[in-house]
Amino acid sequence: MAWIDAILAAAQPILVSGIVLASLYALMATGLALVWNTLGIFNFSHGIFMTLGAFVAWQFADARGYGLGLSVGIAVSVAALAGLGVLFNRVLIAPFLGRKDIVLVAVMTTLAGAFFLENSALLTWGPRIKQLERILPGNIKLMGSAISLHEFLIIILAPLVLLALWAFLKWTRPGSAIRAVGQNRDSALLLGIRVNAIYALTFAISAALAGGAGVLLGAIRFITPTMGTEPLLKAFIVVILGGLGSFGGTIVSAYLVGFMEAISTYFFGAYWTQAVMFGLFIVILVVLPRGLMGRD
Amino acid sequence: MTAPLLEVRALSTGYGRTPVLHQISIELGQHRRIGLIGPNGHGKTTLLRAISGLIAPWSGDIFLEGISIAGADPAKIVAAGLIHVAQANALFPHMTVAENLRLGAYNKRARAKSGETLDQVYALFPKLRERRRQDCRTLSGGERQMVSIGAALMAQPQILMLDEPTLGLSPKLKTELCSAIERISESGVPTIVVEQDINFMLRLTDYFYLIHQGQVTAEFRADQSLDNQKIMDMYLGLD
Amino acid sequence: MAQPERFIWPLVLVCLAALPLVNADSYLRHVVIVCLLYASLVSSWNLTLGVAGLFNFGHMAFFAIGAYAAAITTQTFGLSPWIGFPIAVASSLVASVVICLPVLRLKGIYVVLVTFAFGQLCYQVVLNQRDITGGTFGIVSIPPLELFGYSFAENLNLGYYYAALILLVLSTAYVKRLIASEFGRSVIALRDNETYAVSRGVAAARNRLLIFAASGLFPGAVGALYAFYVRSASPDLFGFSLITLGLSMLLVGGIGTLWGPLIGAAVLTVVSELMADLGPARYLVIAVMIVAVLRFFPGGLAGAGLPLARLFRRVTGKPLEQET
Repeated sequence: MAWIDAILAAAQPILVSGIVLASLYALMATGLALVWNTLGIFNFSHGIFMTLGAFVAWQFADARGYGLGLSVGIAVSVAALAGLGVLFNRVLIAPFLGRKDIVLVAVMTTLAGAFFLENSALLTWGPRIKQLERILPGNIKLMGSAISLHEFLIIILAPLVLLALWAFLKWTRPGSAIRAVGQNRDSALLLGIRVNAIYALTFAISAALAGGAGVLLGAIRFITPTMGTEPLLKAFIVVILGGLGSFGGTIVSAYLVGFMEAISTYFFGAYWTQAVMFGLFIVILVVLPRGLMGRD
Repeated sequence: MTAPLLEVRALSTGYGRTPVLHQISIELGQHRRIGLIGPNGHGKTTLLRAISGLIAPWSGDIFLEGISIAGADPAKIVAAGLIHVAQANALFPHMTVAENLRLGAYNKRARAKSGETLDQVYALFPKLRERRRQDCRTLSGGERQMVSIGAALMAQPQILMLDEPTLGLSPKLKTELCSAIERISESGVPTIVVEQDINFMLRLTDYFYLIHQGQVTAEFRADQSLDNQKIMDMYLGLD
Repeated sequence: MAQPERFIWPLVLVCLAALPLVNADSYLRHVVIVCLLYASLVSSWNLTLGVAGLFNFGHMAFFAIGAYAAAITTQTFGLSPWIGFPIAVASSLVASVVICLPVLRLKGIYVVLVTFAFGQLCYQVVLNQRDITGGTFGIVSIPPLELFGYSFAENLNLGYYYAALILLVLSTAYVKRLIASEFGRSVIALRDNETYAVSRGVAAARNRLLIFAASGLFPGAVGALYAFYVRSASPDLFGFSLITLGLSMLLVGGIGTLWGPLIGAAVLTVVSELMADLGPARYLVIAVMIVAVLRFFPGGLAGAGLPLARLFRRVTGKPLEQET
């Protein structure tokens, strides 16, 4: 029976770290998917949005910044990222929307944008690592193992935020407009929807989600200019696995990927896990280009 | 003589570098139900798209109640009440019938009356009430057309433009839809209809334009004692 | 073809060949060597990105693989660098074929994502196999290339200079010949109108595989030479920065033109060096350049645009397929 005990012993930390990862991936991937579904472009800057979310929050919260406390830091961060999203759309996406090769062009402009912002972060804050304060200090016991309250908060918060987003998209006018534009741009125009404004709104929400994820991550990982690269790549995997075009698919896939990563890390170690995940990514794309629940 | 409701004056436009319309002029005013007929690819849809603001004109002008709307933002044109129902429109496939109709009332003018208008739309198209919780992509072609027209009605049109509303439908559905459109016209909304079917064209319009290679080559009153055969000959003889 | 055009490139070549004879500035020498290497690297990227219209974002990975292959061969296994070269080329070729297999029938954004993921996969493997690759630190202290006792590092890296120049000439000629060939034409036909080309008998999948492999030939060699020149191979070579830099060279020079990569490499290297004092800030300028070019000069310097570019255009501007 020892092997059952071994599995159970392994199950708790795996489950816990799996859910935490999954929650963050869900936040990141949903933002990415939102932009893809609505504008039809893949935003390579999504990772740097997360990074900046952490940096801006740190700048306003930490004593070595403006020292205004965590609440202010978070509030400013989310607002700033939303604004950045709007600006981004204006400068790097909107001018190119008419082009036939918009997908590739957007990859290049958002890549350039990421390059720009990452180096700006490096210039502004320097390479020395920083860390954000946890939202709630202390630990609690969850399923027999200790987990920080902050991580617990992540687990609770992520689904709540996503639920709020879903409700927004389903029940509000601007939310319905966002969905409509993604499904049929011309029809949306012909009903009086201001498509450009919708694009800006979508980017704002997407960036704010990434920034929020950054704030949450910034307390349990180190804040560096490149901290968003890995989550971005994970978000790619999640979005593709879930199927471009399906909101629900993205969320399911986020939790799947989070767990797979946790299991793999536990048994095979961090380095191999990364390689395996990418290998899996490639395989999935070949076998199931439309992902689990995709519809594009 | 009052200004026409909608006037297109010597409009030229196209896609990329390809010209499609050449100084075309049509008018909606004296006749409150006009039609556009002609071979495929000769500019009928392009004309409607230019009027509703989806394409910018290269030269010429478009006047809505005397005010120029050429090149205006589509949202402004919708706000002014000029509603365009596009051809073979799948509207929003992953949203329900009810959501699609509600989106029809997106513009400010229509929002206030949306409850009332929705009832009118369901009265006009009872099938939609039955299917109101279904996603649009699960509907048949005819039902989708009903949703398109229904959404347009929700927008409180002052002028309604319909691009081939009965395209690809069975004869029974065509007749059904045609009756619905007649009822819409009777309720007082001026309409511009693009149709391939001469008989429907004669039912739905008072006056129509024959459009060939981006130009108006003939105009008829629908009640003129020209028999259908003659019109068909003219129409088919052009190709 | 106008008369001046026919002489400009041979002239440039002669100047480049003669440069070390008249100039003894080691810094300038270094800048030009790097520029030449980048130009070779980026010109073969044109084959997939520009000519075939395939969004291959793994091209830089071929280069990195070549560099690592060469470094591993010499450092980890202690073999001669002259064995390192063919191994580097072979590795790069294998990589290009492997990367192509999953994207054989994919389109658009999926190609970007898969090829990009491939690069990241390689990066992870490199980080992982610390014993062979040196992990995060990479491989260092690679001895300079030597041929019959003559070190390439002598005379201010003279050997490397001419090696890079020869490589550039070879890669440019290679690209030019490839495009003119029947194979090249079929690739272009596929890009412009796939359904039509297939209906005329062009085998899409086979074609795609071949063009990927063709594009993988030179990056390996360039990677090896680069590793032997800077005497190291680091995981950064797999990063976003290099991809962005390479892309900017292609864009500024003009995607799909023969001389675009050369012009782009020259411009970007110069700009980058001029701004070296600014540190990371120069990357901001490069990023802005990319967006500006995309927005206002989609054809790059070798394409349409500025009056200065028009001068270039008379010399270079024709798309690759019209070059021959």
